[in-house]
Amino acid sequence: MDLEDLLGQKVPRDEDGLNQMLAYVKGDVESLDEQNDSVSIEVKDSNHPDIWSVEGIARALRTHLGLAKPKAPILSGKSVLRVTIDRRLGPIRPFIATSIVKNVKPSENALKSWISLQEKMDLTYGRKRRRASIGFYQADLIKSPLRYTVGNPDNTAFVPLGSTEKMTLREIVEKHPKGIEYSGIISSFKEWPLLTDGEGKVLSLPPIINSNDLGKVSTDTKNILVEVTGTNAKTVGNTLKIVVAALAERGGKIYSCAQTYMNNGAKPVITPDLRSSFKEFSVSYANRILGASFKPAEMIRAFVRAGHPARQVSKDILRVESLCYRIDIMHQVDLVEDLAIALDINKLDPEWPRIWTLGGLALETERNDTLAEVMIGLGYQELLTYSLTSPEVFVDKMGIGHENYAELLNPKMSTHTAMRSWLLPSILNLLKDNTHVDYPQKVFEIGPCVLVKENGEGRTETRYKIAAVTIHTAAGFTEIRSCLDTLLGSIGLQFQVEPTTQPSFLEGRTGEVMSGQKRIGLVGELHPKIIRAWGLSLPAAAFELEIPPRAVA
Amino acid sequence: MELRENDINVLRTLRDAGGTASVEDLAQKTGLADAAVARASLTLSELGLVKEQTTRTTEVFCTEEGHDYLANGLPERRVATVVHDGGGKLSASEAVQQAGLPLDFVSIVTGWIARKGWGKIEKTSSGALLMVSENPPKDEDEELLERIGQIALPIEELPPNLKHAADRLLKRKILASKERTQRKLEITPLGLDAIPTQASVGEVSGLTSEMILSGDWERVRLRAYNVSSPVPSLNPGKYHPYLRFIRMVKRKLVALGFREAIGPLVETAFINDDCLYMPQDHPAREIHDLYYLKHPSKASLEPWKDILEKVAQTHENGWKTGSTGWGYKYSREEASKLALRSHGTALSVRSMISKDLQIPGKYFAIARCFRPELLDRTHLTEFNQAEGIVLDPSLSLRNLLGVLEMFAREVAGADKVRFKPDYFPFTEPSVELQAYKEGYGWMEFGGSGIFRPEVTEPLGIKVPVIAWGLGIDRLYMMNQQIQDIRQLFTTDLEWIRQQKVA
Repeated sequence: MDLEDLLGQKVPRDEDGLNQMLAYVKGDVESLDEQNDSVSIEVKDSNHPDIWSVEGIARALRTHLGLAKPKAPILSGKSVLRVTIDRRLGPIRPFIATSIVKNVKPSENALKSWISLQEKMDLTYGRKRRRASIGFYQADLIKSPLRYTVGNPDNTAFVPLGSTEKMTLREIVEKHPKGIEYSGIISSFKEWPLLTDGEGKVLSLPPIINSNDLGKVSTDTKNILVEVTGTNAKTVGNTLKIVVAALAERGGKIYSCAQTYMNNGAKPVITPDLRSSFKEFSVSYANRILGASFKPAEMIRAFVRAGHPARQVSKDILRVESLCYRIDIMHQVDLVEDLAIALDINKLDPEWPRIWTLGGLALETERNDTLAEVMIGLGYQELLTYSLTSPEVFVDKMGIGHENYAELLNPKMSTHTAMRSWLLPSILNLLKDNTHVDYPQKVFEIGPCVLVKENGEGRTETRYKIAAVTIHTAAGFTEIRSCLDTLLGSIGLQFQVEPTTQPSFLEGRTGEVMSGQKRIGLVGELHPKIIRAWGLSLPAAAFELEIPPRAVA
Repeated sequence: MELRENDINVLRTLRDAGGTASVEDLAQKTGLADAAVARASLTLSELGLVKEQTTRTTEVFCTEEGHDYLANGLPERRVATVVHDGGGKLSASEAVQQAGLPLDFVSIVTGWIARKGWGKIEKTSSGALLMVSENPPKDEDEELLERIGQIALPIEELPPNLKHAADRLLKRKILASKERTQRKLEITPLGLDAIPTQASVGEVSGLTSEMILSGDWERVRLRAYNVSSPVPSLNPGKYHPYLRFIRMVKRKLVALGFREAIGPLVETAFINDDCLYMPQDHPAREIHDLYYLKHPSKASLEPWKDILEKVAQTHENGWKTGSTGWGYKYSREEASKLALRSHGTALSVRSMISKDLQIPGKYFAIARCFRPELLDRTHLTEFNQAEGIVLDPSLSLRNLLGVLEMFAREVAGADKVRFKPDYFPFTEPSVELQAYKEGYGWMEFGGSGIFRPEVTEPLGIKVPVIAWGLGIDRLYMMNQQIQDIRQLFTTDLEWIRQQKVA
């Protein structure tokens, strides 16, 4: 295992043992491959890219296991490389940060790890290369100064990685797999980002693809140029720090480069910035959050294991160092968590909060449960169906022409494209699958529906409705009306039923349920056309109501 | 269910007919209309007292020609009789004419007389000569023809020799056939038991109010029932099995002092994500992970204008929370987008910004959530999360562990618990709850944490807030030994009816 070489210690081979150890880096074993002696790990923290590599995990575990003290990566010197940045990149992809890591001579394992780190960072932290993307090059083939500029998609050409033919930028974007994958980032611009060297040789078309000549790193590459471009200066700088720190874990020496932005004439930006950040840390604040009473010295020891060198500056205050790659530390509370992990949360004594509060159900739930109680007493089976369904179900198959409903922008399945506006269709959708099941079938559901409002706060409203269906050889209006009367009578709601028409129901056997001046629902016999549309063949009668929570005593 | 008079009548008639009869037969025998029998048979079959069988039969009946032969005899019979009665020997054409048949029948008739062995044919220069020494006995063709007479007979019910005869006569177009679908009823053992027996003298089958009041019950003998025999099954009204479980979880949480919160299924990105300090370009907000709405696509953030500014600044630079913030330009446009609630934590936000919020306070919600997933054994696109918060100035990480431990024992029935560091964008520290249950081993039960100051402070909350979430769908699956998560929203009514209430 590569990890053992980096760590300098044996690691467990069983899943539970590995999981215990990996808890320090919020990692979980995803799969173990005994044949290749490798393990695949899911690292949960999506804001902690310094541990998204074997190097990073080994570095964190080394301090946690007490094998080493935290050590900041050092800048070995300045490289001769300078980068000038074209102002025309402003709206496209304005930022670049570079560094040369010398004396690497990577092993196969190292190369595998770095490429995997690059992919993970491009994907997650770099937001699929939109916000930042990484490139590796053979530093010895590249002449200073680099020019980060723009190129005409049709007049500029080079041989992209994995190819043997020279292609124009447009050809690359249209034909190369990476070009197709990431074209969306640049295709809307007239000119595209281009990185060239002092002799005019193309390094890459950021963030799409490197050149096959300069941008191919192998186990023979001694000195590596790392380049990060992107749309956010902080992300670009952070990405570079994390990558060079990982390379340095295997003995590489980090050298800085100078970036000159042409638009402001300011002094060059030197990257990478390997300076640590420091935070004043309150011991009492940490103890309050942890519910503990750790002494400053205990906390300092734990901080060191968590990779943060720390010292006491006053009775209550520690000065805690976060090394340059710890970009996840945004607030003092992030340090408290690192402390908790180093101290082992399982050693804290769980304590039920000593506060008194009055429990209770929401008014809506009380209403739902009351309605369910009566319906069950009437012999109806409660159902649970999806509220996310499709207009085919709750508009077309119900024979109603138009309905204002909440529709998804990005549905995943044609059967789940919109939020239902009423419940009855969902119930029929269930009954259609049960024509072989014993009749009579008497069912009800109390569930959420979404109504669209032309104006008003939120534009939509979620309302719980109740619908019931009875279907059997003798189902009819009187039966369902009796149920409705019993239900509303049980909760003491005054109502009248007045004749109305609705295409899902039979004319002359459809009633509108009125509570005072307010229409609260429908009751009636289902129209034979609707019964057939659902593949059913027996008479069916139904009601659907919306009962305000306060109406239920 | 009480059987109606017609139902009993049909049952009794069916039994007397030997257990099986067609609807038409029953109508005839009971004197009821076909429709009344059909209605009774539906009721009876729903109760499992009778079984319906549909049979297809081929019925044979006489054609016009057949009716003629039925009255006057088959041509071969008529010709044979003429020959026999005329001395036993006659020219074929002569005999056909005497039998009153057209001349083109000669070859047909001689052919059948020979094939049936009724006589001999001798070929002479002046034509065929027929010889019939004695009157042949009645054959199968004739027997069948008589049997059919004016009616139609199912071919399947004929004995084999007559089936062959039917084939022959069908070929000769003396008979024709038609397909018929017949519905038959068969009485079940349950049905036999359901027939009230005729009370013998001095014996009654049912107790009536009059008997009880008059004291007649002492003077009659009540017929004994077979109490061991099976009875019709019923389908009671019941809670949906999963909703029953959710109600149980709610009861437990209420007992622990939690107040239930509810909220809309459609949320703004502001409530669903921004208020939880999830940066606007966070991967979980991409269209692969969040259902956005096409119509309506945006909502006004006017109701939240007091907190909007603070949330925006917190994202950009940390505002007054002591945080660095995410360091990007916050978009109010992005915040106003409407989406389906993707996690129950959105409801915790709703609780925190509610004017009814109380501190100290404990709140929970069982929230339907939505994510763009294809349905499979382990994924639903609409699912439930149990979520909640605890607010008090005194709260610490140890209390968080205490809450989790209580849930594991009380709600999940776990034997042991342990904790693992976890990550959520909105909590720090974050802890995963692992619970051990005999027979299941260690399992992940939920996530939790203390809300980041970047979450609580812009919402105006100045005390620590413990946030927790339980995978309630998985908890139910484990409890009920369900392997496929799609079962939670199954359309299988039979399964729903059969689930135990315990």
